[in-house]
Amino acid sequence: MSVVPAIESVPASSRWPWLAEFLAGEWRAWIFVGKSLLAIYLAAWLAMWLQLEQPSTTMITVSIVMHPHSGMVLAKSFYRAIGTLAGSLFGLALMSLFPQQRELFLLSLSLWVALCAGGATLYRNFMSYGFVLAGYTAAIVTLPAINNPLGVFDSAVMRVSEVLLGILVAAVVSDLVWPERLRLLLRQSAQAQFNLFIDFVRDSTAGNMPREQMEHANLALARAAVRLEDMRASVIFEDPEVHARSTRMRLLNQRYMAAVTSFQSLHHLINRLQRGGSPSVADALIALYRPLGSALSPGLAQQHQSAVLAARLDGCVAQLPAQVAAMRASLTAPLALLEFDTGAALLQRFATELRDFAALEGSLREAQVRGSVEKVHFKRGNDVPGALVGVLRTFLTMAALSAFWLASGWPFGVSAMLLATIFSGLLAASPNPVSAAMHTFYGYASGMLAAFVVVYVLLPGSNDFASLIGASAGFMLIGPYLSTRDTLPGVGAGYTLGFVYILALKNPMVYDPAHFLNDGIAQVAGLALAGAAFILLPSVIGSSWQRTRQFRRLREQAVLAATAPLEGLAWRFESLVRDLFQQVVTYTRPGSDESRSMLAWALAVLESGRTMIELRQQLAADSRIAPAVRDTATAAMQAIARLYHAPDAARWRDADAAVHAAIATAAEQPLRLHLYQLRSALRDDESPFAAYIPPPSPESVHAA
Amino acid sequence: MPHEIAIYGVLVPGLLPVFLLCLLLMVLLDMLVGRLGLYRQVWHPSLFRLALFVCLFGVAGLLLIH
Repeated sequence: MSVVPAIESVPASSRWPWLAEFLAGEWRAWIFVGKSLLAIYLAAWLAMWLQLEQPSTTMITVSIVMHPHSGMVLAKSFYRAIGTLAGSLFGLALMSLFPQQRELFLLSLSLWVALCAGGATLYRNFMSYGFVLAGYTAAIVTLPAINNPLGVFDSAVMRVSEVLLGILVAAVVSDLVWPERLRLLLRQSAQAQFNLFIDFVRDSTAGNMPREQMEHANLALARAAVRLEDMRASVIFEDPEVHARSTRMRLLNQRYMAAVTSFQSLHHLINRLQRGGSPSVADALIALYRPLGSALSPGLAQQHQSAVLAARLDGCVAQLPAQVAAMRASLTAPLALLEFDTGAALLQRFATELRDFAALEGSLREAQVRGSVEKVHFKRGNDVPGALVGVLRTFLTMAALSAFWLASGWPFGVSAMLLATIFSGLLAASPNPVSAAMHTFYGYASGMLAAFVVVYVLLPGSNDFASLIGASAGFMLIGPYLSTRDTLPGVGAGYTLGFVYILALKNPMVYDPAHFLNDGIAQVAGLALAGAAFILLPSVIGSSWQRTRQFRRLREQAVLAATAPLEGLAWRFESLVRDLFQQVVTYTRPGSDESRSMLAWALAVLESGRTMIELRQQLAADSRIAPAVRDTATAAMQAIARLYHAPDAARWRDADAAVHAAIATAAEQPLRLHLYQLRSALRDDESPFAAYIPPPSPESVHAA
Repeated sequence: MPHEIAIYGVLVPGLLPVFLLCLLLMVLLDMLVGRLGLYRQVWHPSLFRLALFVCLFGVAGLLLIH
């Protein structure tokens, strides 16, 4: 859980640009340190003033929630509050079920914590915090009261009040004092995404781009889509204006993805025509594409103004049918006509989508929101088997600790259990848990050492809150400062947690070195065990096992596109494929064979999947289509689905033959065009299917 | 208005439901103001929102207690 503020460009000073950059970075870091200290001490003071039992719980909450961006804090706080309430309710229920049976109690608690840790790995945004906290609160509410079941309710009320107070203070402080807005970052990224895409579309005279460049562009565009969705989910907590535009932003992202897919299909089609012996058709399509490019170039000043672009694109879309008819007249051969019609339909679809995208982007920039738009969701490709491994690992850790505690009668077993609970959840979501655990461990241990100095050397003379701050602030600020250094992920967070936890501020303060040392040893043991569990049962995030499964799931999306219920399928398909694609690519080495094959498959899945969805929508919308045509088209899609499910040469031949048969049966224009596009995608000799394509013989190429 | 109310035998402060209602009201207000873009007119939007919420909650609490 490193909290790293994104470095934005700094106006470089003329003589020492590195100094200006350094100072800007330091300035940002120290603002964060100041805010963290303010929030932590304010929370401690309020907790003491309200006479809560353990001000340290409030302080720990603040130190977990604080983040340089206020939208992140608010998002974290929101999910944290939900997690806290769920966890405390479950803790109470558990205690009332097993007040006397300690074994059953600890077993169910371990299971609960394990499930929560699994949930934390399943979600990659701040929802995962909610899960960590649901587990942690159940433990923190029930464990200290385990010897006194009657007091569990009071204990629960106290813990929940302390945690909620901490959340409140952290949220207010980070939102009011020098707020660093994620919104600005979101606006910049959205603008950059728009500009990137528009430039990309304008500058690529369709068909001229090498496959490799297209794959890389597709990767960048997919990344932008996922990143934007991540940010949107946090910013809605920070900014009511973004919240009011949330539905629109989701729709914008979906339209963007749809337009990217259409563009890429069109590009591949033209590319194939050029290579496959129909350059005249390809030239006609490129000529048809030209007005689109000129609609996107209204002169440098207005180049990225969505409202201007949308108006120009609208004019372009209106003129397209006439241009298509004019171009079509020059072609005579039936195959060339079919090829041209497919390309023209695709081009028209793309132009319409691009116009809608630009228009929606324009409406987002207005001060007022008018009307309402269609609700869509960004579907995530969460990895369930990976999360199950996390559940198993956490359960084993917790069960082993419980068994050891029960068998040995260790008085500080509670502390060990609590620490293991927190860190199993927090580390489970980290991409490299073993090194994160090591870093956190060092941070935690040095935090405890610092706290020892504070409690037994500096604190005893103090008699009011100001001198408490004076005694501890110097050591406290190390933690937040370290957490702004991205070279040391986890150290800062570990330090702050260890420091605050073992400091255990109370009113009045208790000094008991024996208790301090025992507690410290138990906490370190708990943390170490949580980390060691990751060595015994390694994390699956980014492992080749997970990649293989996600890769298979990516191909499986083409099967879903051919078979799943149509309701909302187009949106689901586009977002899920990109999310999966982005996840797999994150962990492959750029330029490796694996990465290349991933990119190629993603493009193939997107093109065929989208075409099949369009085809199925056509079939569903038009009831006049003859049953025979309907059957052959469905059979063709099923053959393609089988091919994507388990690609091999035999299935490729089946699919090719089925699509060929369907084209021969279908007389209706739009249906035929979609089928032809499917066939052309299958026969693409730069796609992953290249290995299955038999060497061309004249009649097989021109058989359509 | 009672200072404490019992929910299934658990005593909670009477202000809690008021607080929750105000929170709900605030969300609705936020949505309206966000749609109209009025937050662009104030200097410190989050301070303004906090102050607005304190006013809402304070007025509601005082009205109900008196």
